[in-house]
Amino acid sequence: MTGREFIKAIFFVEILKGLALTLKSMFTPAVTRRYPKVKRPVKPGFRGLHALAKDEDGRMKCVGCGLCGAYCPSKCIYIYTSDGEDHTKVVDRYEIDVLRCIYCGFCVEACPFGAITLSEHYEYSDYSREPFYMTKEKLLSNWDKYFAGEKGENYFKKFWRPLSEDFRTPEGQAMFKGIKNEK
Amino acid sequence: MSGTFEVITATDALNLLMRIGIILLKIAVVLGITLLHVAYATYWERKVIGHMQVRLGPIEVGWHGFLQPIADGVKLFFKEDIIPANADKPLFYLAPVIFMVSALTSLSVLPFFDGFVIADINIGLLFLFAMSSLGAYGIILSGWASNSKYSFLGGLRSASQVISYEIAMGLSLVGVMMMAGSLNLSDIVRAQHQYPAGMFAIPQFLGFFVFIVAAFAETNRLPFDLPEAESELVAGYFTEYSGFRFALFFLGEYTAMLIMSSIAALCFLGGWTIPKFITDAMPLLLNVPGIVWFLIKVYAFMFFYYWVRATLPRYRYDQLMAIGWKILIPLALFNIALTGLIKIWV
Repeated sequence: MTGREFIKAIFFVEILKGLALTLKSMFTPAVTRRYPKVKRPVKPGFRGLHALAKDEDGRMKCVGCGLCGAYCPSKCIYIYTSDGEDHTKVVDRYEIDVLRCIYCGFCVEACPFGAITLSEHYEYSDYSREPFYMTKEKLLSNWDKYFAGEKGENYFKKFWRPLSEDFRTPEGQAMFKGIKNEK
Repeated sequence: MSGTFEVITATDALNLLMRIGIILLKIAVVLGITLLHVAYATYWERKVIGHMQVRLGPIEVGWHGFLQPIADGVKLFFKEDIIPANADKPLFYLAPVIFMVSALTSLSVLPFFDGFVIADINIGLLFLFAMSSLGAYGIILSGWASNSKYSFLGGLRSASQVISYEIAMGLSLVGVMMMAGSLNLSDIVRAQHQYPAGMFAIPQFLGFFVFIVAAFAETNRLPFDLPEAESELVAGYFTEYSGFRFALFFLGEYTAMLIMSSIAALCFLGGWTIPKFITDAMPLLLNVPGIVWFLIKVYAFMFFYYWVRATLPRYRYDQLMAIGWKILIPLALFNIALTGLIKIWV
């Protein structure tokens, strides 16, 4: 032990440094966000509660192709269709078991019509399981609730770039553009 | 003849009743104020540690969380009282009471300001040691009676820790006793006032250091909170306690902290007095009541408790024992020898 180390040990230099640090941090403003009162702004592309999109006339965009359900990794989307008048496909039931959903967003990417969406809404805790079983009606009303107006529309189009609206490859994505220095 | 005799006994009885009444009143005042202090010590601790960790601490209940201790008290009072099936019931009931009583009894010999002390006994300091050792019975009995491995380990750890550090603490205060020439706490404070430096912390800096470390260990506070090490023992000796019995342990612990802070203030920092050279420089300060100085010192020491808790991690058990036996006790003995030699020669 050198003299310097000895003096450090006797006078608790390290402990005093630690005490100074804690005292200093006592006078720095707290970083706490008081959640129910102060909400954290949702980042773009947040994957929250599901909603079924409506078109301009207020009809459901979903045609019942079942791609979302096929892609869904947790298999929590249930679609039941039937033959309607003049052989059009009618979506009888479109149900999502939200408690099984993992919010991967594959359903949104799979949908060729931009019909299923994930909203920015995330505060839907409840006391029983029933409210988490989303029926078609509930999903459609979610659209009215969370995508009404410009904000919801923008959010959906800008972040999710639904295939029904935009078929281009996103910029910056690696893609095959032919062999370099091709003769 | 008989008439005057009766009159005399009547006034005597009246005097006795008066004195008992005054003592009871004093006890009520001290107890009430202490328990209020203890309740708000928890609030203050959470607030201080919260801000040291860049959090807010309690803030929702009342203005800046000011009603939080009351909410906690109400909650603890109405909580379900769970007793383990295989617990030793009489001891299980008795242990928190012993712990709490030994902590509260220590209050009786503390002079809060000049002349205000419930029992002005001449062995005040020894009485405090006795009571703080008695608290270890509550801890070890609770560890035994709970019939749980965590409680038992916590109780054992606490017993050995308290016993080891009791020695160091007692020896650290011997220097103070030698300088004051008395065990009465009021006399110790008066002796400090006569002393040029105004407080014994300056000549007895070694003793003061040993006392601080031993006081942390004695009250089972971080960095020596091994009896209740959360990561190892759940909650240590009071793991199996719930509801109001848990509250008794909690209150006892904070009362013990308050008493340790008071001993530090009385024996080393000059109690209710401030050094003479300060009052000579600023005579206006003489008008400030003594209790204010006493409380400022106690609060400063309490704040130090919280500050250290927010800074230091927990020691390993063998390190704790090594500090107690290999450093603090030799240091305290050296301090006694030094004080004695200086007293002989100077």
